[in-house]
Amino acid sequence: MNSKNKKFLVIGIIIAIVIAALAPFLASSNPDGLESATEKLNPQALEIEPVHESPMPDYMIPSFGESPISGSIAIIIGVIIVFALAYTAGIVLKRRN
Amino acid sequence: MHIPDGFIPLWQCVIYYIVVIIVGYFAVKWAKENLDERKIPLLAVLAAGIFAIQAMNIPIPWGTSGHMVGAAIVAILLGSPFAGFLVLAIVLIIQGIAFGDGGLTTLGVNIFNMGIVGGFVGYYGFKGLKPLISKIPAVFVAAFLSLFISAILCVVELYFAGTFPLATGFYFMGLYHFVIGIVGEGLISTIVFIAINKIRPDLISSGAI
Repeated sequence: MNSKNKKFLVIGIIIAIVIAALAPFLASSNPDGLESATEKLNPQALEIEPVHESPMPDYMIPSFGESPISGSIAIIIGVIIVFALAYTAGIVLKRRN
Repeated sequence: MHIPDGFIPLWQCVIYYIVVIIVGYFAVKWAKENLDERKIPLLAVLAAGIFAIQAMNIPIPWGTSGHMVGAAIVAILLGSPFAGFLVLAIVLIIQGIAFGDGGLTTLGVNIFNMGIVGGFVGYYGFKGLKPLISKIPAVFVAAFLSLFISAILCVVELYFAGTFPLATGFYFMGLYHFVIGIVGEGLISTIVFIAINKIRPDLISSGAI
């Protein structure tokens, strides 16, 4: 990879991590559009339990409690996983000459 | 717009999964024929950024909030709806498995709504609008439409699932996602487009310049 792309990559990841770190402090805790509509149209549907237990439910690390810092860490972990997966998918799937 | 488990009967979930697998096959084919190695950093950075920004819900009126989907801007920048599909599939799989955002039975329908509908409406919306209203406004409107049309289709799916009534479903989902489409999807996609166009125009698909 050339240095121009490396620089783009590093700046891009830093921006994503900054957004991730700030998200729990800045995000609205109001329900999202679908949840809000469900509250009005079919509130019983919100009682249904998910089919699996996720390790970081609601973008929090359970052992760190429900604090914004716990949220920041969870979302940064997510950013890194998504970045690694997308980059790997790109390498595996790219055009070959 | 992440549909949780239990909102859609399993047999209907299977249908969406099948559609996603078929589109996935064509997306892999697209990548193997067209995905330039130099575009991989853009693809990966967009995926990471979309995951982060989806965790930051923007408040809208009526005690509600929302966030961008992002498939449209990925599709526009990388020059294919399949790029939007691939990025959103990765984001949604991680959100569903690791964060419980969107169910696992409904992962197929969520990838269908946000990855496929979002990517195709965003890409073809941009392509069709660019000659009419110029580049930057076309990004804004196409991104807006990608989110709004996904939300409207979501109501139709939830109607067939027996979870939402049709008319009031359109009303509430349409109202909320009209606003989210403007401030979440349209505005942020436009900012991202202008920024990347300024710093690395060489990374943008030739169709979007």
